[in-house]
Amino acid sequence: MSEDMGLIVKTMARATIPLIGIFGTYVISHGHLTPGGGFQGGATIAGAGVLFLIAFGLSEAKKRYGHHVYSALESLGGLVFLGVAMLGMSVAFFYNTLWRKGIVFAGKPGTLLSAGYLPIMNLAVGLKVFAGLVSAMMAIAAYRRWKE
Amino acid sequence: MKKALGALSLLFILGILLIVAHPDYGLKFGFGGKDWQTYRYTDEYYIEHGIEEVGGTNIVTDIVFDYRGYDTIGEATVLFTAIAGAVALLRRWRDDDE
Repeated sequence: MSEDMGLIVKTMARATIPLIGIFGTYVISHGHLTPGGGFQGGATIAGAGVLFLIAFGLSEAKKRYGHHVYSALESLGGLVFLGVAMLGMSVAFFYNTLWRKGIVFAGKPGTLLSAGYLPIMNLAVGLKVFAGLVSAMMAIAAYRRWKE
Repeated sequence: MKKALGALSLLFILGILLIVAHPDYGLKFGFGGKDWQTYRYTDEYYIEHGIEEVGGTNIVTDIVFDYRGYDTIGEATVLFTAIAGAVALLRRWRDDDE
């Protein structure tokens, strides 16, 4: 049994993986305006990774997956989340200084560049969830114990 | 007989919980007086003040990242710990062959 799933599935995956990625990025970047957010969008993009793995097989996925890169990305997401949460530390933890003082991301409510630290936090959480889910999936796929 | 008794007692407990949680004649805790509903049921407050205080028009994101930020930190920690545990458990062990 070959590792990939054949020509039809591979062609469909080539067509749909970019669309899934674009949709997930949209859900993350509009997290403060429309339903969805960092967790949901990150899980959507991780779904594109799952589709790549099961359509193209483990050896093809291993070529494009760097363990150190993904662990660094996940740590970066968590650290950015904590650091942005500490920006308003002079008042309270999780105080939205950027919005209330109007520093950056201070447009009208409902526009993309509004809501203070919410877009930054959504990006950080989305990066963290995406990297974490892809790492877990690769660990489950790569370290199986049974023989072919 | 035992099963019916268990189902009945579960129903009884559920009814008591419904009465306790009812806003009109349930338990009143927190600050006393007339304002206890505003302190206990915070959804109206979030819907009215969320946009001006946090800025996002998605009230759920406002609550998750601002009003209930500690909860989100806990969630991120749980995710991180779960993935670290999965990778640590699933990786190749020393006495595995190959």
